[in-house]
Amino acid sequence: MMPGSIRGRLALLVLASITLVWAIALGWSYREATREVGEWDDARLVQLAQFIVLLDQNDLSVLSRTRLDARTEYGRRPGHANGNDGDKSPREALFQVRDAQGRVLASSAQLEPLGAFEAPADATTSARTVILGGKPWHTYVLHDGVSGRTVRMLESTNQRSDLTTGVARRIAKPIALALPVLALLVWISIGHSLAPLEALSKAIRTRDASKLEPIKIGPTPVEVRPLVDAINQLLSRLELSINRERAFTADAAHELKTPLAAIKVQAQVALVAKDVAQQQLAMQRVVQGVDRSAHLAEQLLLLARLDEHHKVPAQPVALAALVKDAIATNEPDARRKGMTVALVGEANYKVMAEPVLMDIMLDNLIDNAIKYCDEGGRVEVSIRRDADAVVLTVGDNGPGVDAEDITRLTDRFFRVTGNRANGSGLGLSIVARIAEYFGARLDFDTGIGGRGLAVHVSFPGPAVAAVQIASTAVL
Amino acid sequence: MRILLVEDDDLIGSGVEAGLRHASFAVDWTQDGRNAKLALETTDYALVVLDLGLPRMSGLELLGWLRGCGKNVPVLVLTAKGTVADKVGGLDAGADDYLGKPFDLTELIARCRALLRRSQGRSVEALRYRALAVDLAAKTILRDDVRIPLTAREWAVLYQLLTHQGVPQSKSRLEESLYGWHEEVESNTIEVHISNLRKKLGADLIKTVRGIGYVMERA
Repeated sequence: MMPGSIRGRLALLVLASITLVWAIALGWSYREATREVGEWDDARLVQLAQFIVLLDQNDLSVLSRTRLDARTEYGRRPGHANGNDGDKSPREALFQVRDAQGRVLASSAQLEPLGAFEAPADATTSARTVILGGKPWHTYVLHDGVSGRTVRMLESTNQRSDLTTGVARRIAKPIALALPVLALLVWISIGHSLAPLEALSKAIRTRDASKLEPIKIGPTPVEVRPLVDAINQLLSRLELSINRERAFTADAAHELKTPLAAIKVQAQVALVAKDVAQQQLAMQRVVQGVDRSAHLAEQLLLLARLDEHHKVPAQPVALAALVKDAIATNEPDARRKGMTVALVGEANYKVMAEPVLMDIMLDNLIDNAIKYCDEGGRVEVSIRRDADAVVLTVGDNGPGVDAEDITRLTDRFFRVTGNRANGSGLGLSIVARIAEYFGARLDFDTGIGGRGLAVHVSFPGPAVAAVQIASTAVL
Repeated sequence: MRILLVEDDDLIGSGVEAGLRHASFAVDWTQDGRNAKLALETTDYALVVLDLGLPRMSGLELLGWLRGCGKNVPVLVLTAKGTVADKVGGLDAGADDYLGKPFDLTELIARCRALLRRSQGRSVEALRYRALAVDLAAKTILRDDVRIPLTAREWAVLYQLLTHQGVPQSKSRLEESLYGWHEEVESNTIEVHISNLRKKLGADLIKTVRGIGYVMERA
């Protein structure tokens, strides 16, 4: 039987239980039979005593010399093979008859070597067991009120009664024969009950990998239905995510086409341009187009890598230092647009995150703010402690985002209409993905002085080692 | 020939603008749908090159508005979405032709010329005007098998008059066909170009219509 098979295990358990119950029943019946046989033996001893008490001296002396077989059944139906109770080994009954004065009138010859014995006082009501000559004996004492005689009967107790063995065999035989039949029936019924599982596995096995509709295997028992439901739920989730991936791939291809088109057009302009200045301008734009596609590819790769479910171990990260680095990185772009980017306040909190991912997040947030701001704009980064979170905010005083577009900001490839910046449309998706990584919440709000856009990233949990290196130290 | 280019992408827009200019078209380039609508309301364009994915007002919306108010200026649609359904949708919305990105600049220009030709009721680029054999695509003009060299501006003026035979063209109309938005219009240039054309091709070719402008009579 296979160790992993439900059918095997079930069959084994059912058969073992049945065997156990049968064994108990058998043991109980055997005990009952033994008791019954014992009572029967006792009854015969009483009958023998009643018979002996009536005999005269002559008969008694004859009887004391002959042997009295206890197996002999009197009054048995005629024609029975032999007149005994079925025991194979001989069982003898011994007797001793005394008169009213206690003198021994007659006694079985075999009783002599066993010596004198005293029967228990209550052996007059029913047979009792005594040990005589190292052997157990059944004994019964009968007082006859009329003659004043006392008859003592002794019968050797058989260690093993062939009668009880016979009874036990008769009970055990049908059980032993029934067990293999029962095993077969159990095996077949369990197999039949497990058919829906077989149907389910067949439905899954023969399924096309691209087919993600729910599994239908007809009426299923309640035990199998949760399994089918769970598989169907998994399938529908899988279908959703595959559809999302497909849409993403289509969008990505579409997005890559735009910079490619630009490169091609500019290259062709460079080819036909007559003056050197125009040619150079076109070639510069070709380079820009290549840069843009490279950036897009980089962002796509980053997003794909973030989507792989490797959880990065979080560690306490000092936000202020990272913010300063990110500001320094984006400084040249800001200067080109005559913008200022500053970290306001000096609150330095640590959050549970990962420095490289936090760097990418900050870079995207600050880069976005610079890109979508007007010339001469301002970007402010702040870190503050909220009731239950550390909040990092990147705000600007640019044109801001319409309320209807706010919810779509983190959608992949979404770009706010009307802006001229050449973003990939992936920046905030990446930010949202990283925030999700560290269990941080992303909120949008108006930026500096009621204008522009502010992005809040709230890292939940108690402030990790909140270190104030602020001007308060001057006090 | 004045063309309105509506394309939100900087690099594609500047490239197409340069390419169309190089092909002697006057080009106005706008990056969003609403500005394009404004331009179409105020200026007569020979052709519109329209990107569909536009901010503020989508290309299809603009196309719907354009056809809704009865303007039948030819429209060539550009889009990165190259699916058949997309093309059908664009054409059904009133586009005259369709190009998927990335496209070939020479193909774009050839399609622009073809659309213009069709809108002017011609089927070939070559036409004869009295003793002149004109090839509008190659921008060559022959008189008695002798090639007459023209400057780009002279060519543009001649093209405008040739494609509107019998319809007097005002000075401002001619200027419009000559200059895009960002080009400085020099005063008296039209008069200078007309006199140069008369010198090169014959004094009786272009007639002055007093108080209106200039015309080339039907051949």
